[in-house]
Parts: sequence; C-alpha cells; structure tokens
Amino acid sequence: MKKIINVIIIVVINSTWVYSQDSLIVSDNEIKDEFVSEGATDNSTVVTETFASIRVVNNHSIEMIPVRSLEFIVSHKFGDLAGSNGGVATWFGLDNLEDVRIAFEYGLYKNMNAGYGRSKGIGHTTQVFDGYYKYSILQQRTSKMPISLVFVSAVSIPYGPASTDSTAPNSYPTFLNRFIFTNQILIARKFSDRISLQINLGYNHRNYVDYKDQNGLFFAGISGRFRMTKSFGFLFEYIHILDRPSAITYTNHLAVGIELLTGGHAFALTFANSTGMTENLFIPYTNRNWLQGQFRFGFSINRRFKL
Amino acid sequence: MLKNLLRVLFVIFTIVLIFSFKSGDVPRYSKYLKEEQVNIAELPVEDVLINLGEKPPLHYISLLDKDSARMGEEMIKYGELLDGSNKRISKYFYCTDCHNLQKESPDPANDSPKAVLEYGIENKIPFLPAATFYGMYNKRHWYNGDYAKKYGDLVEPTRDTLQNAIQLCATQCSQGREMTDWEIRCVMHYYKSLEYKIGDLVFTNYEINLLSKAIANNPSLAAEIIRSRYHQFNEATFGTSKIPEIEGYVPSMRNGEYIYVYGCLHCHSPQKEITNFDLGMDKLSFKFLDDKLYKYNSFSLSHITRYGTYAISGRRQYMPQYSMENMSDEQLLDLIGYIKFKAHE
Repeated sequence: MKKIINVIIIVVINSTWVYSQDSLIVSDNEIKDEFVSEGATDNSTVVTETFASIRVVNNHSIEMIPVRSLEFIVSHKFGDLAGSNGGVATWFGLDNLEDVRIAFEYGLYKNMNAGYGRSKGIGHTTQVFDGYYKYSILQQRTSKMPISLVFVSAVSIPYGPASTDSTAPNSYPTFLNRFIFTNQILIARKFSDRISLQINLGYNHRNYVDYKDQNGLFFAGISGRFRMTKSFGFLFEYIHILDRPSAITYTNHLAVGIELLTGGHAFALTFANSTGMTENLFIPYTNRNWLQGQFRFGFSINRRFKL
Repeated sequence: MLKNLLRVLFVIFTIVLIFSFKSGDVPRYSKYLKEEQVNIAELPVEDVLINLGEKPPLHYISLLDKDSARMGEEMIKYGELLDGSNKRISKYFYCTDCHNLQKESPDPANDSPKAVLEYGIENKIPFLPAATFYGMYNKRHWYNGDYAKKYGDLVEPTRDTLQNAIQLCATQCSQGREMTDWEIRCVMHYYKSLEYKIGDLVFTNYEINLLSKAIANNPSLAAEIIRSRYHQFNEATFGTSKIPEIEGYVPSMRNGEYIYVYGCLHCHSPQKEITNFDLGMDKLSFKFLDDKLYKYNSFSLSHITRYGTYAISGRRQYMPQYSMENMSDEQLLDLIGYIKFKAHE
C-alpha cells in the first residue's frame, strides 16, 4: 500500500493539477456581493449613513437598528433657554427639566425595529409609556432607487393620575382615552456625502382632547443633516400641523442640533421649542415660540449593544 | 442451404462476440482504479506523511465526516448552525471576519505579506489580520510569537493543541462562549476538509528528483522535503504605532486601495455591521483618517493597525491588530499613501 501511495505521490507532484475547495454548504455570495465595496463601482450599492442615528433630532429618521442590536437611549429636554422663564435665573433652563426619556429600541429583523420607552411627559400628559415599530419599505441605492421609504407607527399611554376635573383633557373617563397614536411615512434621500434630507407625512390621533381641539391631526415635516466632517454635523427638523383648529394656540415643532459621533456613541445636542420627547407629544402639544426665547437645550445619548 | 446460412451466422456471431470484448466501457474495476489515480491527486498531506512513517498530529482525523464538516462550516461562517439547534458562539464576530477560508498565496511555503497581497489582488481575497483556515489543520503550533503579549498564559495550552486554539479563539478572539466538544469536533472536521493536499504544495525540479529517490530509500527525508513546502506554524510579531520610515519607498496606490477595500472595509463597511465605526469610499472617511494620522489613539491608522484595540466591559467588539507577518511596513505605507491621496484629490 505504501509503495502504491509513494508512486502516486510522484505522479501527482509531477502533474500541474490544481486543487480547489468546494463549499459544503450553500454559497454566501449574496453577502459578499453587497460587501465588496466595490462600493465605489457597484452601481446597485445600498446608500448608507443617510443619518447618523435612528432619530434626526426628536423625530424618527429612516435609519434602522441592525438586527439583533439593542439601542439604549437617554434623552433630555430642559427649560426655556431665554425669555421670561430662562436666562441666568434658571441657568438657561438647566434648572428646569421639561422631559426625560429612557428607551430601549431593538432591531427585530433587518427591515423592522421596535422600541419601548418611558418619559416624564409634559403638561397634563404625564408618566408616559411609549412604544413603536418601524418598517423599512425601500432603501436608497446608487442607481434605480433614489429614495429610502420607512413607515413608523407609535403609541403613547400617559398613565399619570386622571384629573378630577371632568373638563380637563386628562380626565380620561376610560383607559382607552389615554392612547395617543402617530403613524407616519418617512421619505429620505442622501444627496451627497454631506447632505441628507427627509420628508415626513403622517397622522396623529389622540383619543381624548380638549373640547376646542380635534382628535386627528395631519402633519408634514422636513428634516435634514449637513455633515461638516465624518464625526460632526448639523441637524434640523420642522413639523407642520396641517389642520389645526384655529381656536387652539399650539405652535409647530422646530428643532436644530449638532451631532457628535465617537464610533460607539452618537451624541446629539439639540435646541427645540417643543418640550416633549416623543412624536406623540411634540407634534400635538408644542406650545412654545422660538421668537419669545421659548426654546430649550436638550441632548440624547445613544449606545448600541449587540445581543 | 440451411447449413451454409448457419455457418455464416456462426461466423457473424463469433465476430460480434470477439469485438464485444474489445469495445465499450472499460470494466468497472479498471475504471475505479483510473479514477482513484486522478482523485489521489487530492491526497491529504497528513496522510502521506503518516504513510512515510511520520507520527500523526494530536488532532489527526483519519476519515472526514462530511456532515460534521458542513456543521463546522456553518458555525465558522454564520456563528451557529443554520437550523438554529445551537446557540451562537459569539454575538460580536464570525470567524470569517478575521480568517479567510481559501489559500492566501500560491505557494504555502511563501505566505509573506507581499505574496499574500499579490495573490489577494489577483483573486479578490479579503486582506485579513488572522491566518487563513486553509491548511490550519496542517500546522503544529498556534498563537505563536507575540500573541503571548496579548493573551498572556492563555496561549500556552494552545501552542501545541489545535482544539485548545479553537477554544481560545471562541472565548477571547471572538469574545464568545466556550464551544462544546461536539462543536469543536465539527470545526475540526471542517478544518480537515481545508487541509493541504499534495497538489497544493509547490516543488522545484530538484526537490522532485530528490523526493522521488527519497520515497523509495529514505522515507523520513521524503517527509522532511514535503514538510518543507509549507509552514508548520505562523509567526506573529507585533509592531509599534510609529509610521514606518523606509527611505526611497514610493507607496503603491493599487496596493493601498486593495488593503483599504479588502482589509479595512471588510469590517468597517456599514453593511457589515461588525463595528460601530463605519468607513466608506466617501471623502469624509478619507479626510477623517488623514486628519488623525499623527495622533496617538485608536483613530490613528498606524496605531490601530499595529496595536488594534482590546475588548472592554460594555464594548466587546474590538479590532485585532495586523502583525508584521500579515501586513508589512511597506503595505502600511501603501495604505497611508492611498488614504492621503483620496483625502486630498
């Protein structure tokens, strides 16, 4: 046997036969096709990093949390920076905490995220539990697909004590009266490495409102990002209520911010006239005016973990 | 008349009978032997060495179990079995984030950074910091050289036992859980499927002549010649964060681009989701790296390439460093040159 093998070795060594390893399982070319950063050359490459975070300023962005990743978010909004309630007396609003939210948001699937959070709440809407799910319908590509399209549906439940005043908007005759819903479509495009814009259209519904107000509000918004460097950029966000009753004195949410990326964290330092942290609060309940100094400093720290 | 007809038929029958033995397929047994001669070209190097009287390695597997190898391949490529019957080994890395599964150079005896880079460019193979799994089964020592600086005494049991090396890779390199015996067994079978075959080795004419004589007269010399055609272990020398200075060296943009695309972006491409620090082919990425070139921190290219980062509590993903054996100083300069060029073009 040894002699046979020895002879065969010589035969083989003298041959120029080339050996190749066959995969034992299904090929993973799909992954590699995406990756090969032929990024520079592949015409159908997915456009990434339209925004740095899953929020632009306060509202959702089209960015998704990767599957099996958990994002821990801590967000704050302080009191009025200027105006009658701001200035040095409140150290530019830092003495007054308007709202704070702690949330865990998770990448359920490649195209679907879900998140749960709890915030202090604003005005009569206090002790707010919120949840959302977000579904990525389209993803911008370098060719053939010019936009990204995402649907977000969010619900908030303020579980603070109901008012005994039956005319108050937080008297909540039944538990269902506490629910607030927002459904919106986000349409975004990354125009260049530095500039991204997003339009959002949606509908907000509060189950219980003041008698002068209306339950359903349609809104449209625009937000954007301008990157100065890889790790630093400017953000803005504006949401306009389309059919607010004239008897209601609420205003529209306008926010600007800067983002700082460190590789593991995404920091956003923001200034906004709205006081609420989630879309179910800052869309229907913004009642402060920038021109009167009623805007506030806020920040958000996002930390992502792999599970 | 009938008699003549019978005679003619007999002659025809006889002719047909004779030719039926000379035409058509070769007999089954002969065919088998012929196939065996061709297939034997894939003769595993370890088996040949054992037939030459060499002692089998500790991890020697006499017969490849394809089902085990398939499961090993799934765990290496996807971190778990695709049927979901085991728990993920690591939630941070797959083996293929750092290891290739194919040959990295045409000659296993020459896996210098230069040879690996040229072969990688030719075959579009990722340029990774860890040794390829192709031929890992044929090594005798693992976690050599400066890996002791990184993992301390943990490398001792791995240096002569492949199973221990796999376990260290699972728990430390990929920051995952301990693998069970059957999982390691499956990975071992997959390694066996990637072992060197005689056809992988490159011999000179002189060596072939010598080998031909030695096989008949001196099997231990023949084994030595075969062993000399591939490395028994991979050396590892860690560099420093200093940007190399090589007088008169002109960085190659082609090499630099390949290292960036098939090395850096292998993990830092946003779609890979291996790290939170994403890079791309955009100018902002190049400018960022260029701006940090002379810093002494993890954003500095030479620093991160030579030192890597370490897993810390709350942030287990880390970057392994490229040893001098995996990326030469010239190649580091190629990479830096390419990034500078892209940042300022």
